[in-house]
Amino acid sequence: MSPAWNPAAWTRRQQIERGLVAAVLVLMIVFPATGISAYWSHQILIRTFLFGVAAASLIFLFAYGGMVSLAQTALFGIAGVILGNLATKGGPGGTSKGLHLGWDPTVALVLAIVLTTVIGLIFGAVAARSAGIYFLMITLTYSVIATYTLGQVTKISGFSGIGGINRYTPGWIGNILDHPNRLYYIALGVAVFVYALIRYIVRTPFGLTLQGVRDEPIRMSSLGYNVPLHRTLAFGFAAFIASLAGVLYAWWSGQVAPGNVDLPETINLLVMAVIGGLVRIEGAWLGAFAFILMDNYITSSTHIPGLGFGGTLFGGSFNTIVGVIFLVIVLVSPDGLLGIWGRLFEGRYLIRGRGAPPTIEPTIEAPEASQ
Amino acid sequence: MTSYLTWRRLPILLAIGVVVFAFVYVLFITTAPTEFGVGDWRTTTFGSAVHDPSNFLKIVLDSITFAAALFIVASGFALIFGLMRVVNMAHGSFYLLAGYIAYEIQQDMTGQGFSLQSSEVNTWEWLVPLAVAAPCIAVVGLFVQQAFLRWNQGQELRQALITIAVSVIIADQIIAHFPRNTSQGQRFGGNAVDLTWPGWTDRFVNLHIGGVQYSLARLVMLGIGVAVGVGLWLWLYRTKTGMIIRAGVDDRQMTSALGINIQKTFAIAFAVGSALAALGAVVWASQSNISSGQDGVWLLNSLVVVIVGGMGSIFGAAAGAILFAFVSNFGASYLPTTGSDCCTQYSSILTFVLIALVLSFRPRGLFGRGT
Amino acid sequence: MRRVTLRSWKTAAVLVMACAAVALGANGSLAASHAKVVKVAIMTDCKGAFAFGYDFDIGGAQGAFAQFAHGVTKNHAKPSAGMTGIHVGSTQVKIVGYGCGNDTVPLAITETKRLMEQLNADVEIGPLSGDEAVATANYAKAHPTKTFIIGTAGSQDPTMQIAPKNMFRYHGDGAQWNAGIGELAYKKLHWRKAAIIMDDYSFGWTSAAGMIADFCAVGGDIVKRVFPPLNTTDYSSWVRQLPPPNQVDGYFSAVGGTGTSAMLKAFEQAYGKLNPKQWIGNLFFGFLGADKVVAPKLVGSYVGGFGNNPGVHYPKVDAYRAFMTKLYPKIPADDGFTYNYYMAAKALVQGLQKSGGAVGAKLQASLPRSINGPFQISNGGFVKLDSRRQAIQDQYQLQLVKNKDGSVSPQVVAYVPAVDQSFGGLFKPTSPPPGRTQPPCKRVHTPWQGKIQLVVNGKITKQVLK
Repeated sequence: MSPAWNPAAWTRRQQIERGLVAAVLVLMIVFPATGISAYWSHQILIRTFLFGVAAASLIFLFAYGGMVSLAQTALFGIAGVILGNLATKGGPGGTSKGLHLGWDPTVALVLAIVLTTVIGLIFGAVAARSAGIYFLMITLTYSVIATYTLGQVTKISGFSGIGGINRYTPGWIGNILDHPNRLYYIALGVAVFVYALIRYIVRTPFGLTLQGVRDEPIRMSSLGYNVPLHRTLAFGFAAFIASLAGVLYAWWSGQVAPGNVDLPETINLLVMAVIGGLVRIEGAWLGAFAFILMDNYITSSTHIPGLGFGGTLFGGSFNTIVGVIFLVIVLVSPDGLLGIWGRLFEGRYLIRGRGAPPTIEPTIEAPEASQ
Repeated sequence: MTSYLTWRRLPILLAIGVVVFAFVYVLFITTAPTEFGVGDWRTTTFGSAVHDPSNFLKIVLDSITFAAALFIVASGFALIFGLMRVVNMAHGSFYLLAGYIAYEIQQDMTGQGFSLQSSEVNTWEWLVPLAVAAPCIAVVGLFVQQAFLRWNQGQELRQALITIAVSVIIADQIIAHFPRNTSQGQRFGGNAVDLTWPGWTDRFVNLHIGGVQYSLARLVMLGIGVAVGVGLWLWLYRTKTGMIIRAGVDDRQMTSALGINIQKTFAIAFAVGSALAALGAVVWASQSNISSGQDGVWLLNSLVVVIVGGMGSIFGAAAGAILFAFVSNFGASYLPTTGSDCCTQYSSILTFVLIALVLSFRPRGLFGRGT
Repeated sequence: MRRVTLRSWKTAAVLVMACAAVALGANGSLAASHAKVVKVAIMTDCKGAFAFGYDFDIGGAQGAFAQFAHGVTKNHAKPSAGMTGIHVGSTQVKIVGYGCGNDTVPLAITETKRLMEQLNADVEIGPLSGDEAVATANYAKAHPTKTFIIGTAGSQDPTMQIAPKNMFRYHGDGAQWNAGIGELAYKKLHWRKAAIIMDDYSFGWTSAAGMIADFCAVGGDIVKRVFPPLNTTDYSSWVRQLPPPNQVDGYFSAVGGTGTSAMLKAFEQAYGKLNPKQWIGNLFFGFLGADKVVAPKLVGSYVGGFGNNPGVHYPKVDAYRAFMTKLYPKIPADDGFTYNYYMAAKALVQGLQKSGGAVGAKLQASLPRSINGPFQISNGGFVKLDSRRQAIQDQYQLQLVKNKDGSVSPQVVAYVPAVDQSFGGLFKPTSPPPGRTQPPCKRVHTPWQGKIQLVVNGKITKQVLK
């Protein structure tokens, strides 16, 4: 069944949401041309797009696969490291770490994405029979392995990581150091593409089976579906998406290091996904935007007048403030900001502590009625 | 017999083969290098067990004593996880807070001087810091459980996220306020400080096997670990509260339906679990040191031990601790030294790869059972 | 049937535009600045292993601004409260922000971009740590109009292998800090064979490289290198890989702050009481002075330096200490974090004086290639920059001593003149950076070999180490 593009049949909520999304999209497209703030274009928004893509891979696995994966950050970093090793050149004027294979950047790009997807499939195959906390544990182990491997195997990375990757972009992109708006539009395009791709995949038979596996794995298995295989393929797809984000990050930052895949960064990605809302893909970009804004502006203002000792919260740094904000969001709305948004339409403006707050259980929606 | 050797069993047979080979390698095959920087796949630092039994025995003892320390901390985590299905991501922060509190108490008790030698510390001055830190952390844990975790039971991901937020806040506050009492005055920033074992542990014990002299302090640590294990076993299997806890682990709803105040039991279990983290902190800070950043390390250690051993089971936590400690220490000691730069430093990678493989073969952990 | 109301779409669109406008207004980058203001950012760590360095670094840099550029501090107890009134001639200097890193590359990049692109700083003083400096060096290469003066980073790459034209370092790297300590071990302690244990990461390798290069240069032999990974919990299996005390003359340690006491305690439990004559550590042994448990056991062991000379007295260094202590009483003036940022800021002031307030390439040409430093004695008291803008700096090696009040602190015992980054040609831009096997143990002639002067009771004597 094809999704019916019938605006007349949209509910009020869908109208408002789609209107907002369209307006934001238009704003994003014209933003660099207005020249309002280069910092916003090149730092805040590009990061929002690419971390949103990474968070989308995490939300996809949770909302449609029922798996909480802490390995997305590791795959994100691995893609960047592979790209760096393949594309950069050594020698004078080159960067000083990595294999320096100096291959054609387009080939390197394709290989980075393909290899990361393959690694994701292997990770998924190993983890496919686990569920719940065990799956989370295995993916956390992958993240730790990635941190140690990137840090200690100096041939491919080392603790300072690989630098200068953004000097070796494919010819059809050109020099993004001189023309950072190109990276902006590429990131925006990739974000839109990933969003559309995920929305498409979950409507295919594979996507529907995956949601069935999420809800009733035993029943699906008895119906003859190969549950571990579906989980593996879902993990591989999520790895593909994470690799796109990883490549974008390598181009944005120029450097990929073990600090990109360690435990705090993994938790940050989870925080982004949760703040946005774990059940809807749109939450990925919303959460990434909120987190990056918080990160950026709270660090700049370590002195909040009137609060605690020395102007920070109880003498701590902005980490305490981020922790408190995150705690409040999770306590008030487990579905993140989008959950609050949804509740505005359902007439519940306040969450009470007792009773049964909504769980983070995603629901299968029939294709026509989905938002 | 040949029917056992099917394709499906190939991974398990491979695994068994590798394990057997590792045993034989360590016990018989390997040799010590003749000079530094020269070696092949057969050389390791110490040589085989039959060639150098005293070092082999020392490493075995190192592993067992480290396992004891791991067990103490992980058993608290296992208690909370097994009973309440709460992944307490703040367990590491509780550990860190307990270590610093105990340090401050020990500093206050032993005077404000510039030296804290073992000989100056008696048993009382080690026990009182423990007696202060453990109840403090139990109270903190109890507060966290009552305020944030009591009313959203069953929502495991949400509870994990709440405890992540709590851990970020606690860790940041520790950096802001500890350590308060070093010989250079107040130096915040979460610097490394140590506790000290009582003076009588600062000697070697002659084990009368192969002329091995082993540190008494590490044996004391083993003793404490065994005592914790026995104490927990007695509590869980010989007291009424323990019986309720075991019943709650098996079937929470039924236990509650029988009219038992399961909430009170949860509260007790959380407090005891946090107190165990505190005990582990005091023990390990005496053995080694305490510094900011260790909260992440010990949380990871606890997670790995509990999940690999099998959740909800004290026996599982012990088994996981022994496996983790042995793999870490034997990896560091008996990985081949093929040259001056390989390979013992990769033991961390090896440990976590093995963890992932164990979890893939036994998704519920080595001794896990139930849902 | 619902009508899709265009009104709801338009309202939504207008709301989004309004939010964006408000957010950007808060950003402040719309305001054009008309006055001639040089914007400076100070990049340091407020999280991770070096979180305590935050106020030390800022205090050091602002100390130089106060002394040479009329800066007025807002809070004598807390340097990070800010400083105003800084001007060099008619040019105003504004500190636009303090960067908060955590010793890793990604946050260093994000913070550097925030400081240089959102807050539009022209000059960055920093960063603090080695890996951050490598990341900043790569960033600097891509942004030639910005100027970077390293704070205290100890990695070799930024000024050896990467060496961007707009990056300057007025202090030694991690290897330079340990210059001379190998010679001390060989000549004073008569070590011939030594083992070394180092953190398995870049600063561990760089610090160890200095010890190894210096020891091997005079004829010593490193018989074993052990590399425990970072965040090792149990050091017992690593210290057992070291040869027992009766098989080597001594041990070098480049194990970092959070692991130093853990490693030493594990060694004691494996091999018995620590013998100070068999242990030499890098600067982290100096930090041990705050540690009441391990420091007393190591009284007498030699400690690698940090480019400063705590406890040594002569007029210009005493003047520096007096000034800094009056300005920021809570910040130790002798601490390497404070001092190195001070020198960076001092260089910036001199550069601005010469360039007349211009930034960019003009400032980079005007930054001093030779600067007078309170802890520098050779070359007339001037720290010289080499062709890659790296300092050739005097180093001081220390020893842990027990003071009259019972405290344990490092005291300067050796003065090593004019240490350069290449160690007499051993380290080259084309050679691999320090690593597990780099440098190899080779006999070379370091420029300071045979020229190390002993320091007794805070006075540099004419006596040469033989």
